[in-house]
Amino acid sequence: MKIPVCKSKLLAVAVLTLTAHVPSMAVANDVKQLKNELEILKNQVKELRVLLNSQTKLMARKSEVDAVKEEVKKVAKDSNEWKVADSAVHLAGYGAVGYSDREGSDGSFSLVTFNPIFHYQYKDLFLLEAELEVGVADNGDTEVGLEYATIDWIINDYAILVAGKFLSPIGQFRQNLHPTWVNKYSSAPPGFGHDQAAPITEVGAQLRGGFPVMNEGRANYAIYIGNGPLIELDGDEVEAVEAEGFASNDDGELVWGGRFGILPVPGFEVGISAATGEVGPEGEESLLRDYSAFGIDTAYQHGSWDFRGEYIRQRVGSNSASAAPDAATFKAWYAQAAYKFLPSKWEMVVRYGDYDSPHASQNQKQWAIGANYLFANNAIAKFGFESNDGLSGERTDDDRFLFQLTYGF
Amino acid sequence: MKKQKLFGLGLVSAASYVAVSIAVQATQINVAVAQDTNTAGDIGRGASLWSQNCARCHNMRDPKEFRDDLWKPIVTHMRIRAGLTGSDTRDILAFLKASN
Repeated sequence: MKIPVCKSKLLAVAVLTLTAHVPSMAVANDVKQLKNELEILKNQVKELRVLLNSQTKLMARKSEVDAVKEEVKKVAKDSNEWKVADSAVHLAGYGAVGYSDREGSDGSFSLVTFNPIFHYQYKDLFLLEAELEVGVADNGDTEVGLEYATIDWIINDYAILVAGKFLSPIGQFRQNLHPTWVNKYSSAPPGFGHDQAAPITEVGAQLRGGFPVMNEGRANYAIYIGNGPLIELDGDEVEAVEAEGFASNDDGELVWGGRFGILPVPGFEVGISAATGEVGPEGEESLLRDYSAFGIDTAYQHGSWDFRGEYIRQRVGSNSASAAPDAATFKAWYAQAAYKFLPSKWEMVVRYGDYDSPHASQNQKQWAIGANYLFANNAIAKFGFESNDGLSGERTDDDRFLFQLTYGF
Repeated sequence: MKKQKLFGLGLVSAASYVAVSIAVQATQINVAVAQDTNTAGDIGRGASLWSQNCARCHNMRDPKEFRDDLWKPIVTHMRIRAGLTGSDTRDILAFLKASN
């Protein structure tokens, strides 16, 4: 009987031992697994920490974000200001450099000019515009001139009052075509330079504007009154009519005139202009004599063609009491054709001009042919040749080559 | 001398008379229309007027050359030079602003 009891006890102990060991093994496995997971998590946290640090370095701080917001607000305000400002400012103008090689003399870089134009506009009411003419003289001095300066009052859709020193509305070349980037040839037509047949500028006031004619047609006008030109005498001759805008009126007489232009169809314009008054020559201002100017101009554009022509004349009447008693007439005309070889950048221009003055040494007939390369419509290289016919031995008789580089801005 | 003076005087007077009388007439006809319909400018008409008028004197300039605020005084300057009407000027400006 003892034996079965012992056996049963041993069996019980064995069972107990086994049951005690089975859970402890399972726990050990769990712990090991947990340790592995913990290690993985630790590594992941470590990686995240590194990533977080690097991102924190890249992220802007709040103060920086606020600063950017302020900057954006300021830029938006500035951007809006120029869109709604009452006053607008603009700097335009043109410059040119040139080389000329005249028959019988050495070639030289004979042209350096810079003409800034200032525009200040207040609403749709006033425009102040002024052009300076800055150039290098033969002796190296810098010459500065006021080409024009006006305050323009925009009265309504059809009329503008222009006051100050303005480009003469007599003819077209001097008021609209003389800037180097606009003029298709490197020089002005004979007689259209300073102190020749065409009035340059005037000091006074003018009313100008435009209006529709029928459907497509347009007309434009300019009526002015000003101090008039200065008549320069040389011995017993009228040397020149200096119509360059003087802020004085020593002879006490005003000159008035105007231009009327009509475009019956777009691209074709005909203009007629005239001026009249009395002038007292320099040094004998009280000896008044008649002064008149007259001009006809036309222009036509079609496709790549550009045609234009103009006749201009200034006349000073006689006065028997003067040291230079005879009348004097300065007249000039030119015709010009230009063709653009599109789509290339080349343009050809041919011009004929004739200038007659009371002085034989100034008379000139000229054929001019030119080729222009347009880097852009406002940046142009001009090559030209002039065949000049003047009084033998005078510069007006010398042929010449011209090269000019001009830029309008 | 007197003949010439009278001729010049007559010519300028005639031109002035025609200009002013037509301007007044045009003003009367167009003021109401302009006030109602063309204060901002018409881009389509502006494109046509731009191509017809700028080349009267100089090579065409690209609308992209200048910002809106710069085109305004430029176009006003050109209005005075070319004798454009206010309405035509607004149309051209509208075109340039829409095309730059």
